[in-house]
Amino acid sequence: MKLEYVLYGFGLLFCIAGIGYLAAEYVKYLSDIGKIVSLLLTVGLFTFLGKYFEGLGW
Amino acid sequence: MAVKHKNLYLYLALACFLGIIIIFIFDGYMGVYDTLIIKAGEYEEEIEADEWTQRDGGFSTTAVNWGEKAFFSYKVDNRRFSSYTADIEVSLWHEQEKVYDIMAQPISVASFDSTELEWVLDMAELVPDSVGPDQVYEFTVVIKMGEIERSLRVRVSSERYAPKRAMEIPEPSR
Repeated sequence: MKLEYVLYGFGLLFCIAGIGYLAAEYVKYLSDIGKIVSLLLTVGLFTFLGKYFEGLGW
Repeated sequence: MAVKHKNLYLYLALACFLGIIIIFIFDGYMGVYDTLIIKAGEYEEEIEADEWTQRDGGFSTTAVNWGEKAFFSYKVDNRRFSSYTADIEVSLWHEQEKVYDIMAQPISVASFDSTELEWVLDMAELVPDSVGPDQVYEFTVVIKMGEIERSLRVRVSSERYAPKRAMEIPEPSR
């Protein structure tokens, strides 16, 4: 495995962790309805992404 | 067709992501926000709505110099599609006992509008004569607005403007 891919992996991991942290901080200020809709949209986001990558043959 | 179908899932995922961002921006902006501004001497302190929740036990602290007046301004910002009505009670507490009510009045704020309440506390009148300027005196201002309760601990002392002591210049050694 090339070293570049390992670095890409680290970069991606840090990006996801950063966005996750910001979202966890910001979610405190959302209303209950906003939290539920955001959760449903997050589930939808990962489901559709999964279907997309499945279609690509991953 | 297969390519279009594959892209459809990608577009749906992007739509979900955009939806989350829009909710974060919109829902984070909407609501009723209260801001307390304290002016004392040369200082001005602003405590915004989210700061109250971050501070320990919902308490916030400010310092006022001995004998000064503190000017309070409480701003209620209604960022909702309906008007906001509540009873506001501001009271002064010392050692868990209410000293007196500063004000009690109903407010009604129209949609996407704001209102401001102001009051002044004179430290010269508030602090008992038995407490000297070299001592620290503390009291709490409690603001109740509907279900929201804010507590501000006010610390009265002469530390803020303590004049700098003249430095003693050592005599030159011979």
